[in-house]
Amino acid sequence: MSEIYQKLENIVKEKYISNSLYIRHAYSRNVDLVLQGVPDIVIRPKDAQEISEILRIANEENIAVIPRGGGDCEFGGSKPIGDGGIVLETKRMNRILNLDQDNLIVTVEAGISWGKLNEYLCHFGLYTGCMGPGSGMTAAVGGGISHHSVGGGGCAKYGACTNQLVSLEVVLPTGEIINTGSQANKYSKYSFNRFGNGPDLAGLFCGDNGIFGVKTKVSLQVFPKPPFAAYKTFQLPRKERVVSANIMNEIRQKGIDVYDLMYLMDLVVRVGCEQEMFPFWKALKKKRGVMFYTIEANSEGELYEKVKQLDEIMLNNKTEELGPEISDGNMAKWHYTEQGHWQFYHNLWGMYPSMQPLTAECFSPISLYPTVLNDIDQWDMEHNEDMQKIFNITQIRPIAGSGPVVLVDGNNVEITCGFTSFWNYHDGESYDIIEETNFKLWKSLLERVTKHGVQWYMMGDYMSRLMVDMGAYPEQFYNFMKSIKQKLDPKMILSRGKFNFWGK
Amino acid sequence: MSELKNLKSEWKAVMSCMGCGDCGYAIRPAVDRYLTCPVKEAKGDEGFEIYFSRGRMNVLKSLLLGQIPLSRELADFVYQCSECGNCTEVCHMSQSEHIVLNTSKWIDHVKVWDAVRKDLVEAGFAPLDKHGKLINYMNNDTMRNPYGEEEAKKFEWVSEFPEIKDKGDLVFFGGCTMPLRQADTLKSMMKILKAAGKDIAMSKDEWCCGSVAIRIGDQSSLTKIIKHNIEVLKNMGAKTMFTACAGCYRTWKKDYPELLGEDLPFEVKHITEILVEMLINNEIPFKPVEGSETVTWHDPCHLGRHMNLYDIPREALLEIPGVELKEMKRNRNNAWCCGAGGGVKSEFPDLALDISKERINEAIDTGAQILTTSCPFCIGNLRDAYNEMESNIQDKIQVIDIIDLIANKI
Repeated sequence: MSEIYQKLENIVKEKYISNSLYIRHAYSRNVDLVLQGVPDIVIRPKDAQEISEILRIANEENIAVIPRGGGDCEFGGSKPIGDGGIVLETKRMNRILNLDQDNLIVTVEAGISWGKLNEYLCHFGLYTGCMGPGSGMTAAVGGGISHHSVGGGGCAKYGACTNQLVSLEVVLPTGEIINTGSQANKYSKYSFNRFGNGPDLAGLFCGDNGIFGVKTKVSLQVFPKPPFAAYKTFQLPRKERVVSANIMNEIRQKGIDVYDLMYLMDLVVRVGCEQEMFPFWKALKKKRGVMFYTIEANSEGELYEKVKQLDEIMLNNKTEELGPEISDGNMAKWHYTEQGHWQFYHNLWGMYPSMQPLTAECFSPISLYPTVLNDIDQWDMEHNEDMQKIFNITQIRPIAGSGPVVLVDGNNVEITCGFTSFWNYHDGESYDIIEETNFKLWKSLLERVTKHGVQWYMMGDYMSRLMVDMGAYPEQFYNFMKSIKQKLDPKMILSRGKFNFWGK
Repeated sequence: MSELKNLKSEWKAVMSCMGCGDCGYAIRPAVDRYLTCPVKEAKGDEGFEIYFSRGRMNVLKSLLLGQIPLSRELADFVYQCSECGNCTEVCHMSQSEHIVLNTSKWIDHVKVWDAVRKDLVEAGFAPLDKHGKLINYMNNDTMRNPYGEEEAKKFEWVSEFPEIKDKGDLVFFGGCTMPLRQADTLKSMMKILKAAGKDIAMSKDEWCCGSVAIRIGDQSSLTKIIKHNIEVLKNMGAKTMFTACAGCYRTWKKDYPELLGEDLPFEVKHITEILVEMLINNEIPFKPVEGSETVTWHDPCHLGRHMNLYDIPREALLEIPGVELKEMKRNRNNAWCCGAGGGVKSEFPDLALDISKERINEAIDTGAQILTTSCPFCIGNLRDAYNEMESNIQDKIQVIDIIDLIANKI
C-alpha cells in the first residue's frame, strides 16, 4: 500500500491525503451508526483533473474508490462496503464558479453544500427552489444529484434536486472527464440546457448513487424567490392517512403550485408530545396527525387567491387550522422562515440517547402511501417479539412508521419508512443481540415496503444491495444496468459493492 | 486497552451523534448561523473531518467499541480543539422554546472532549509537551501559576494599591494571566473601583484556579487546589468573589461546584457583573464625553456559550458614555471563538492565531474602532494576531479590554 499511497500523494500533495488510523475511522460512518466501513486511505482532491489521476491509479491497482460529499447518506452510501479502499472526499471542491443572472443558472463545484450555495444566492434574491436534502447545510450538491434527493424544502413545487439540473461535469471511473447537456457541444460557452446534443447522458448520473462517475461540476437552474409566502398548519381528522392523501390529490388536481406540503403521522405527533419535543402541540386535545403547507406568490393578490383555494381544500376535508404563530403550533412557519427545512429531521433522530432510526427513503404515488403506512403498522405488530428483545435492553420499544410524508413534484410523495431502534452500544456495553435484531428487522421491513412497488432513491450500501438480493429488479433491467457499469467501470472500482457490483 | 472510564460516562452523547455534519458546515442566515468550527475553518483545505465534531465523534464511537486504541497520535488530534462549544450550539440549533431537541439534554460536546482528554491523560498519552509544563508549573509550590513565574510576581501589581484589604465581603481573585501578562488592566480595574469608592479584599495566598488542568484533563491535583482556594476565600470572610478572567470565572462558578458536588459558600461573579452594577448606579465618575466611539463586543466562550453571560457585558457597554455598540455578524451563541482556549494557544499557537485573525477581520467589518472583550486569553490571543497583521488593518481597529475602555474615560 505504501507505493500506492506515494503515487496518490504525488497527485494531491501531502496535506490532502491520510492513512492515519484515526482519520480513517473519522470517515468510516455516515448518518447511521450500524453500517461501518473503514477505508485504507482518505484523499481530498481539488479538482476533476486530480480525481481523474486518482481513478486511473485506482484502476491500475484495482482499488475501490468511494466518493463522498457531505457524508450524509442514511444508508452507508459514502463509506466503504466492508473495509478498505479509498474514500475520495469532494468537500474541497466548494466554489461557486459562475452565476449567470440573465439565464438564471448557477455553476458550482460539486462539493459545495446546499446551505452555502443558497446563502450566496439569497444576496441576489434567488434560491435553488428545491433546497436539497433535509441535511442540506452539510450535504453536497453532487450528493443531492447522485440521489435525486428531496426533503430540504421546496420539492412540492420544484421537485427533486435533479429536476433543476442543467449540466454536469463528471469524471468517469476510468478517468475520462466529460460534460453533459449543452456542454456536450464544445463550442458552447456556458451551460444553458440539459437535454439535446444526443441522449440525456446527465440522466445516467442522476440517482446513480455514485456508481457511474464522480460529479465535479454542476450547473443548476435557479429561481427568483417570490416575495410573498403563506404557511399554515392543520390538525387532521380521523382516517388521517386517507384524508391527507385526498388533500394532496386535490391540490394536484387543481394545479395549485404549493411550495411544501407535509403530513406528519399521528405516531410522530403522539410520541413527540409524550417526549416533550413539541411544546407547541401540547394543547392539542387529540394527538392526531398534522399537515402543513407553504405557498409562495409574486403579489399579495396572488397569495390571497392561492391561500383561499388551499384553505377551502383543507377545511372541506375537516382539518382544523392551528394558529398563525410558531407558538400556536404552526410548524410551517418555523420550517419556512427560520430555515427549519434543514433541521426538520434532527428532532426525530434525537428522541432517546443512542436511538438509531433504521429507515430508507422512497417515492410513492400519493394514492399508494396510506396502504404502505397501514402495512408498516401491521408489520410492527407481527414483529413484536423481536422488538421486545431490544426493549429488554433499552427499556424503550422500537416503533415502526414513517417520518414526514412529503409531497414531491408530480403525484408523488417521499416516505421515510423504518423503525426507531438503538445502536448496539448501550449504557457502556455492546449487545450483539441488538445488532442482529436490527439487521433482521431492517431487511424484513424494507423488503415488505419494496413489495408495494415503491421507488427507493437514496440507496447507499444497504438498499442498493437489498434490491438485488431480494430479486426486486427485473432481470433485464439489472443486466442492462450492469452492462453499463461494466462498460464504464470494467474493474468496478467506483462505489464497489453497491447494487452488488463487486468486480474481481 | 484503556478502560475509557471517563468517555464511557459520556456514551449517551457520543452514541446520539447521528453524524449530520452541521457542526462543520452549518450556514443558516435566518438564525445568524455562519459556519461552526473555528479549528476546521482555520485548517482550511487541510481540514480532515477529525478536526471537527462529527469526525471526532466517529473516532470516539470506534474507541468505545474497542476498535481502536488511545494513543499519542490521537492526543495530537484531540487537543487541536479550543473547546469553544460552538458545535453544541449548532447541534441544538433546531431547538427553540416551541420545538425541543431531546439530544440537547445529553449532548454537551465540551464535556465529551473533556472526558476523552482525561482518558488520554490517565492512559499516559497526554498531557502534550507544553501542556505538561503548564501543569507542572501550576503544581510547583514556588510558582502556583502555569506561566512558570515565581509566585511573588503574580502579586507585584498589588503593591501599588495599599487600599486592597486582607479581609472583606467582596473578594477579588486575580488568577494568573492578568497579573502576569496584563497587569496594567488590573491597575485600570483598581482605578475604576477606587473612583467608585468600592472596597475589595484580596489574598496573596491564592493559587491558580486550576482551569488549565481541567481543560487539559489532568485533574490529579485539582481537589487540593480547589479546597485551598475555597478555604482562603472563606477565611477572608468572602460573601462575593469576583474575577476579571473568563477562564477563572467558569472554573469557579461551574467546575468547582461540579467537581466538589456541593455549592460554594459565597457568590461568584465576573468583573462585568460588578461593572454593570456600578455603571447602572452611576457610581463611576466619567470625564465629559467628547464625541462617540463605536465598539464591538467579542463574546469569550468561557463567558458566553459556557456560562450564558451574554447580556451583562452588553448592558455595561451601553452604559458607558459615548460608546456605541455594533455587533459582529456572529455574536452571542453564534460568536466565533478567538482560538486560544482548550490549550490550543500553548500547544498550537499558529492555529490559535489563524482563528483569531478571522475574528479581528470580522470585527473590522462592523466598522467599529474598538474590539473589546473581557477575557485575558482572548485579549492576549487577539492582540498577538493583531500584531501580526498588516499595518493597514491595525489602523482600522484597536483591541482593548473592557476594563481599560472604562478606565480610560475616568
